[in-house]
Order: sequence, then structure tokens, then C-alpha cells
Amino acid sequence: MFQRESIGTEEAEKARDAILEALTDTDNPIALVIADDRGLPVLLYREDGAPARMLRRARAKAYTSANLGVNTVDFRDSEIKAKHRTLSDWGDPMITSLQGGIAIRNNGAVVGGIAMSGNTTIRDEALAQIGLDAMGLEK
Amino acid sequence: MINELVIGHADARLVAQAVLDAAGANRKPIAVAVVDNRGDIVYFTRQDGASAVDIRNAERKAYTAAFIGRDSSLWRQQITHDGRTVADWSDLNVTTIHGGWTLRRQSQVIGGIGVTGTGDEDSDEQLALKGAEAAAQISVDEWRTKRDPRPIRAR
Repeated sequence: MFQRESIGTEEAEKARDAILEALTDTDNPIALVIADDRGLPVLLYREDGAPARMLRRARAKAYTSANLGVNTVDFRDSEIKAKHRTLSDWGDPMITSLQGGIAIRNNGAVVGGIAMSGNTTIRDEALAQIGLDAMGLEK
Repeated sequence: MINELVIGHADARLVAQAVLDAAGANRKPIAVAVVDNRGDIVYFTRQDGASAVDIRNAERKAYTAAFIGRDSSLWRQQITHDGRTVADWSDLNVTTIHGGWTLRRQSQVIGGIGVTGTGDEDSDEQLALKGAEAAAQISVDEWRTKRDPRPIRAR
């Protein structure tokens, strides 16, 4: 027997509130995804004016981060670009190399994934990091 | 040009919260999905312990209610009466499992809500109804702020 750890609603809501707090007037409407250790959504949030495709994209990012245990930008650089692999090699249509998905860790173990869409990928990642920090986990 | 009314994120959160409040703590964990009029998620949340099937079906129920424009239990009655099956729609996201309610405002479909997790589709439906009622209340409150306060004869 072994136990797997995952984030729950409590952590997800902390992250949600911190991100909404951090948004400024210059930010576009956002889509936010917080997923558990299997990449399944714990919390999905799409602001007025954010197209549905943004949430779909963010779901793929969070899924990838949670399942592979990597930030999607690192996945793109170290696997796709450096080793000339393609996304099809993973045989999973939800895997993406778009920047903005961050793996959530607690004491070294992957316990979830968080991703945003709506702004530039750099801003998306920065906002996701704010949410991650607000969860108060031990990296 | 046409204008569609669509449920926004603020209302979606209130609707989901109404369901969670009604669910209380002493039941099986549930998943709640609120979608817009095209069936795309606006807000989704789940209680700790809700299963992967709950997650998927909450979204499918909400999608069905919004996309088909029928509460999912009513839709089952309708297609059964017509001798059809869910497969006739060629859409893996539609379902007749009870627990999806269509959200309307000014007679337009503005979205849908789906709840899964109680272990019984009729209980799911009763919980989802709390969300649909909250959405209706928001609609009434909004109408009250906009209506002409004068009596009809004086307008």
C-alpha cells in the first residue's frame, strides 16, 4: 500500500483568491485551472469575456504539469525542443507544451497542477506562481 | 445583429455556492459545474473526495442542460417518448442522467448547472435545483432594480 497526496478544495480556493486579488486593470479576462495530482480539475474559473478556448488550453497545461510533474515551459525546452520529440509521442491528447502550466509540489511530491490563460504567457505564469505561493505548501 | 444573454463569472460563483450551502457537510462529496449558453465551463468546483466520474458527469449534465436547452431529466422523458437515444446526438458530452438544470433569463438560455456526487441522480437533481433557484433569484433581483417603479397606468 502507498498513499498519494493531492491538493484539495481548501488549497485551490486560497490560490483562486490570491490570483483574483493580484489582477490589475491592465490584465485581460482570465481563465484559471487548478488540478489535482491526476490532472483532474479541482477548480475552474473563467471570467466574463474570456473565450472558452482559453479555459480548454489552461486545462491542458494544468493536466500536463500534474501528470508529468514539470512546468510546461521546461517540458517544451527539455523534451520537445532539445530531444526533437513531438507531442504525439506521449499518446495523450491533453499533453501540451504551451507555457504557463506549473506543477504543484509538497515536500517534493507532485500534488497538482495550476495554469492560467488570458494574458501573455509570461504574465500567465507569474499569476499562476502567485496562486501557488498562496497555497502555503512545502516545496 | 443579435445579442445573447450569457451567465457571468460572478453569478456562476453564487449559483455554485448555493448548491454547496444546500449540500452541507454530512453528505458524500459533490462536484458542481456551471456553464454558459454554449455549454462551456464558467465555474467548476468540487468537494474533497469527489471522484473522477463525478467531475466528468457534473460537467456533462451542465453542458446538456445548456446546449440542449432542457433540464436533463426532462430531456430523458422527451427522447424516450420520441423513441430516440442519447447516441442520436453524436455528442459524447450529452447525457440524460438527472441533475442538470437549464438556466434562463428573459426567456433565453443563459447557461446550465450540473451536480453529481450524492450517489443518487434524483438527489443530485434536487441539489442542482438549489443552484437553479439561486440563478432565478438573481434574475428577479436584477429585474427589480431595472423596472419602472410607476404603476402601469401612469407610464
